[in-house]
Amino acid sequence: MQNETMVDVKGLVKRYGSLVAVNEVTFKVNKGEIFGLLGPNGAGKTTTIEMLVGLRKPDEGTATLAGFDVRKQVNQVKGIIGVQLQSTSLFELLKVEEILHLYASFYPSHIDIPQLISDMLLAEKRTDRIKSLSGGQKQRLAIALALIHDPNIVFLDEPTTGLDPQARRTLWDIVLRLKERGKTVILSTHYMDEAHVLCDRIGIMDQGELIALDTPTNLVKKLQSTSTVEFRLTNPPEQAWFMEMDGVEEVSIKDTFVQLYTDDLQLALISLIQISAEHNLNIEDLQTRTATLEDVFIHMTGRSLRES
Amino acid sequence: MRAYWQLTLAQLRIFARNKQVLFFTLLFPVILMLALGSFVGGGNALSLTAGIVDLDQTDGSKTLKNLFDNNEGIETISYKKTENGKEAVENGDVQLLIEIPKGYEASLKDKNQAFSLPVYYNEKNLSASELGLTVVNGIIDQYSKKLVDYQPLVTIKKVGIEALNIRYIDFLVPGIVAMMIMNNNMNGVAGQISAWRERGILRRMQGTRLKASTFIAAQITARLLLNGTQALLVVLIADLIFNINVVGSWLTLIFFIALGTLAFMAIGFIIAGIAKNPESAGPIAGFASFPMLFLGGVFFPISNMPDWIQPIVKILPIAHLSSALRETMNLGTSILQLGTETLILGAWLIGGFALASYVFKWE
Repeated sequence: MQNETMVDVKGLVKRYGSLVAVNEVTFKVNKGEIFGLLGPNGAGKTTTIEMLVGLRKPDEGTATLAGFDVRKQVNQVKGIIGVQLQSTSLFELLKVEEILHLYASFYPSHIDIPQLISDMLLAEKRTDRIKSLSGGQKQRLAIALALIHDPNIVFLDEPTTGLDPQARRTLWDIVLRLKERGKTVILSTHYMDEAHVLCDRIGIMDQGELIALDTPTNLVKKLQSTSTVEFRLTNPPEQAWFMEMDGVEEVSIKDTFVQLYTDDLQLALISLIQISAEHNLNIEDLQTRTATLEDVFIHMTGRSLRES
Repeated sequence: MRAYWQLTLAQLRIFARNKQVLFFTLLFPVILMLALGSFVGGGNALSLTAGIVDLDQTDGSKTLKNLFDNNEGIETISYKKTENGKEAVENGDVQLLIEIPKGYEASLKDKNQAFSLPVYYNEKNLSASELGLTVVNGIIDQYSKKLVDYQPLVTIKKVGIEALNIRYIDFLVPGIVAMMIMNNNMNGVAGQISAWRERGILRRMQGTRLKASTFIAAQITARLLLNGTQALLVVLIADLIFNINVVGSWLTLIFFIALGTLAFMAIGFIIAGIAKNPESAGPIAGFASFPMLFLGGVFFPISNMPDWIQPIVKILPIAHLSSALRETMNLGTSILQLGTETLILGAWLIGGFALASYVFKWE
């Protein structure tokens, strides 16, 4: 059962004029999985999700959701998916309860609304106008609307963007509970930590292409190096100079900030200390850490997530 | 079907909670009606006061003086001396001063000699004086004819074309109701739909199983209920304040209010479809509604407009809506005789919605 394919995406392409927003994206998501699309803004995550939920027509390729083709069976697809779009805007003057009843009426059947309201931690706001909700509450309401008809597959497009840390954590709990209930979740994010905590598997997108796809742990493991040594150095020498050090696999230098990637942290540190003593280097802010998804992204694209 | 009722209910709730919009869409026509109704048309004609100095003090002069006193067109004030009267003319207390000189009766008896009556007026206030002179002339003319037993050979018989006495306010109220229907629906729909589209509200609904036709049907129902009620409310207010009578059938009136609402809503949906964003929806709706305000016979009768503009005016929906409302309210024309209006408004409705469904976009 765990291996039953719920989402099967085959060669999706979307062009806007000469710009290829999504290029040949292919992946599968199993039932009960939380699948993350990770990438910087403009990588094509939202466009991919919009094609999957039937809001945009793909130029090439297609996808099947629970066996329904998104190009030909749009109505059936809409019945089995729940959608939370990026920065969803709702009728501000309606009350929480009212909008849930409204959206419930769009489907043949719906789940118990009071229960849904309490699941989404909105019980206190039941009779409040949407206008008066906080960012986190609005986002939870958007998820409630996505769940109103008990869909099999839930799409969450950047659900935590713009929320404060606590609201993000509350939302993470909600997403993890969706998984417990057997829902298949596809979410997009540009937060590393979020993808790491929530997702069973991650597809990394950059400039319209899916450049990597695996579990978070495997993605990190695939890096030749598992640890990073970071420090600051005024006038750092050439990259090649560091590469000659024992244990260093890769080097990245930005102005005064140096990162050494290594598989053997101890060896790399020892050689760094020795070299710095010999050459009288003034190392500041020395830090070591294990590699993260951010490093995976940098390794694959040469850019960090935030700058791109 | 449940979605349709829920959406209608939601829209009505949004209307009810947006008190500001509700208030001003209702207040504007009422204020406009009050302003134009009392400044321009108000039944009170210019009041005319004339001073009279009787220097003759005979039976003849008293008869003449009584004639002026009893005339409803002017009010009279008596002065003892000509000087006092002239002063009052200069001050503007009276518009005219009629002097009956000494020897008036004597000269009347000498039937061969015409007698002239001096009337003083202030040249600085010509319009009032002109009007006064006309009235005085009329009175004197009638009086002199009576004195000589004059039998006119040709007389005019006044026959009003419309049996009813129509005031400007009677003309104005149906026009304002038409204007209100146009504004609330065309501008309202265009603004709201394009704003909802911009904010992604429509897109989110597109992600559900909701059909566009259900959404539009609910919009129409809710707006028909709201704007129809508002239009009827304005008619009722006009009835209370200006004593406007709806001569024709209320059913016909409601029919045309509904037809007008639908036709302008269709145009609103077209504008919402064309407008790229809510900022441009406003000017586009303004571009469509502004000429209609002036050409559509809302404030001025269409027949007063230059010939070359008449063909354009005759296809505008507003012209037919205001004329249908006017015929119904003022003249009580039966709906059977308003075929042209019904037809043209109906054509706008059907053509409008056909085009609107073609240009409608969820996003």
